[in-house]
Amino acid sequence: MTTEDSKPAEPQAAAEPPKDPNPPQAQYVAPKEATTSSSPQADNEAPPAPDFEALAKREIMTPSNKEVIVVAEQAQGQIQSVTLELLGAGRDLANKLGGKLSAILLGHNVKEASKKLIEYGAEIVYVADHPELENYRTLPYRRVVTDLLKTFELPPHIMLLGSTTTGRDLAPRIAAHFDTGLTADCTELDIGPYEHTNKADPDKLGIYPGCLYAIRPSFGESLKARILGPWNNPQMATTRPGVMIPLEPDANRQGEIREIPVNLKPEDQRVQVMEIVREMQAGVNLTEADVVVAGGFGLGGPEGFEMLKELAACFENGVVGASRKCVDAGWIPYQHQVGQTGKTVRPKIYIAVGISGAIQHRVGMNKANLIIAVNKDPDSPIFQVAHHGIVGDLYHIIPEMVRQLKASGAKVNGGEAQKSLAQ
Amino acid sequence: MSSINDIFVLIKQVPDQSAKAGINPDGTIDRAKAKRMLNPFDRYALQAALHTKQKYGGRVTAISMGPPPAVEILMEAIEHGADMGYLLSDRRLAASDTLATAYALHKVLLHLGKPDLVFCGLQTTDGDTAQVGPQIAERLDLPQVSYCEDFRVEDGKVVARRVIEGGYQWVKMEMPALVTVANSYHPLAYKSIRGARRVQMLLRNDDEKAKVIKTVTLDDVGADPVKCGLKGSPTIVAKTDKVAEIGGSCVVRQGEPVEVMVRDVLQNTNLREFVSV
Repeated sequence: MTTEDSKPAEPQAAAEPPKDPNPPQAQYVAPKEATTSSSPQADNEAPPAPDFEALAKREIMTPSNKEVIVVAEQAQGQIQSVTLELLGAGRDLANKLGGKLSAILLGHNVKEASKKLIEYGAEIVYVADHPELENYRTLPYRRVVTDLLKTFELPPHIMLLGSTTTGRDLAPRIAAHFDTGLTADCTELDIGPYEHTNKADPDKLGIYPGCLYAIRPSFGESLKARILGPWNNPQMATTRPGVMIPLEPDANRQGEIREIPVNLKPEDQRVQVMEIVREMQAGVNLTEADVVVAGGFGLGGPEGFEMLKELAACFENGVVGASRKCVDAGWIPYQHQVGQTGKTVRPKIYIAVGISGAIQHRVGMNKANLIIAVNKDPDSPIFQVAHHGIVGDLYHIIPEMVRQLKASGAKVNGGEAQKSLAQ
Repeated sequence: MSSINDIFVLIKQVPDQSAKAGINPDGTIDRAKAKRMLNPFDRYALQAALHTKQKYGGRVTAISMGPPPAVEILMEAIEHGADMGYLLSDRRLAASDTLATAYALHKVLLHLGKPDLVFCGLQTTDGDTAQVGPQIAERLDLPQVSYCEDFRVEDGKVVARRVIEGGYQWVKMEMPALVTVANSYHPLAYKSIRGARRVQMLLRNDDEKAKVIKTVTLDDVGADPVKCGLKGSPTIVAKTDKVAEIGGSCVVRQGEPVEVMVRDVLQNTNLREFVSV
C-alpha cells in the first residue's frame, strides 16, 4: 500500500524544502556512505525489476563504529544508579558487537565522577564539563550530545539512556535529530541478526547482522515485542532504573577520559531552571522499601488506599504502591506507581491487592523475593507470578491481615507494641 | 507577547484496555473491535490547554491523528471547551512509529501556523513511549517542558513545575513552546453545558461541523508520504513472544474463612519478620 500511494505525492515532496523553515535533520559527516543502503529515494531512481531473492540474501552493514554509548545521568555530581546499570547492559552488547563501550557525562565539576564510569565498565568517557550543564536542561544537553556525535566519522552503533524524567526527555530529541529509531522502557537488550523480507520495501530487503534487539512488553496481555531499527545508527533504547544489572565495580579497569567542547547557542537558553526541590524524606521511597503493599483497580475507589496504608504501617519499612489505573483515576499520586511506566521494585515482600496483574504491572514487581496476591478473581494473571494467593473480598482479607499482624507483632515486640496496640 | 493567541492540544484515540472487547486471546489487539477512548494521559493535557485559555485567553485547537472514528475525541474535546478540532487521517500513515508520527503531526502544526503553546499528554496508554511530544518539539525547534504538573504564564514566559526523581523543579521557558503534562496535573473538569450544546448543534448541522472539525490528509498539510507510515518509521516490531514466567507455583487459598486463609499465609511466609507494630 505504501509504495503505490507514495508515487503521486513525489512531486510535492520535491517542492517541499523551500516551504519548510526548519531544515529537517542533521547528517553525519559521511552521508554518502550512510545512505547507500537506507535511502528509499536513492533506490527509487533505478527501478528495473528487482531480483527479490538475491536482494533478500545480501548482507547489509549499516555504517557504524560499533561503539555502544551510554548517556550518563548525574544529579548534584553523583552518577545515578540507572547509568551504572546501563553500563552493565552496554558491556554485554559491546562484547557481542566487538566494539567499545563508552559513556558521555555532562555536568559541572564532574571529572572526578567520570572515573566511576570507568570502574563500572566504560572504556571511553566523553566529559562535557561546564557551569551551564550543572543541572539537566533539554536544549543544552541535546546540543552537546548531538555535537559530539557529529564529530564521529561513523556514528555509534547503539545509544542507551535511562528511562527517567531526564532520559525520556532527552532521548526522543536526539532520535528525532538524527532520524533514528528509539525504543522506550526496554526490559531486555540483545544483539542479533534481522532478515527483512517485506517485498513492499525492496530497497530494505536483506540480512542485517548485529542489530539491537530492544525488547519490551507490548500493548495487551502477556506479550513482549522485539523492536528493531536496523536502518539507522545509533540504534537507541531506554531502560528503567532497576531493570538492568551493573557490573561489579573494579578500580583497576582502564579507560580514557576525553574532554569534549561545549558550544551552546543563544537559543539553547530558552529554558532556565529556577529552583530544584528534592523531597527524599517526604517522598515515597518505593525502590528502597522492604515491603510494598500495592493496590489496584479492584479497590474500587481512593478510600481503599487508606486501608492499604494501615497495612503498610504494620511493617518497619513498608510503603504503599499502586497500579497505573489507580493513578490515572486520580486515587493516588504518580509517585506510588509500580510497573512499566512507574517504578520497578524488588522488595523482600510485595503484597498485590486488587491488582489483576497486566504485564505492564508485572514487569515492575515480578523480581520481588516474595509475592502475595489478594484478588477476587482466581483467573487473574497476578496469580501467575505470585507465590501465595488469597481469593476473596479484599475488604475482609486486608483488615484481618492487619489484625493478625498486629497481634503477632505484639507478641514479638513485647510491652512496647502492646502499648501502641492499646492506643 | 503577554497575551496568548493559539493553544494546540495533541490528543489520541486509544483502545480501552479495561473493556474486554477487541482483546484477542493471544494478547494482541483488534483495533477495529476494541472500544475506543480518549487516551487517559491526554485528559490532563486538555485540561492544561483549557486552563490556559480561561486564564490568559486564546483559542484551543485539538489535533489528532488516526482513522476517521478519532473525530469522536475531537468532539469530546469540544464538549469540554475546545474551539476547533483537526484530524490528520490518511491510510499512508498506517504503521507509523513515533518518529513518523511526530513528522506527520509537525506538518499539521506548520500547516495551522505557529501556536504559542502546544500541550501533549505525557504518553499514550497503547504505546507508552512518551516520545512523540519531544520529537515534535525537536522538529519544530521548540523548547519543551516534559512531566509538567503545574504552570502559569508570566511576562510572556511559561513558569512550569516539572517532576524529577525524588522531587520537582521550577523552570522558566520562552514561548512558543511545547509542554507534556504529567498525570499529577489537575484532572479534566466535567464537560461544560455550553460545550455539550455546541456538540449537539454540530451533530445536527453538517455544515457547521465541517467548519469546526476539519479532517486533513498528508497532501493537505504537505507531508512527504515517504517519511510516514511503515516507510518513514526507523523501527519495526520484528517479533512478539509470550512472556515466559514461572506460572503455577502459586499456593492459592479459596473458599475458606478469611481468618483461616490469612493465618495460613502468615504461617507460610516470612511476613511477620518485617512487622513493627
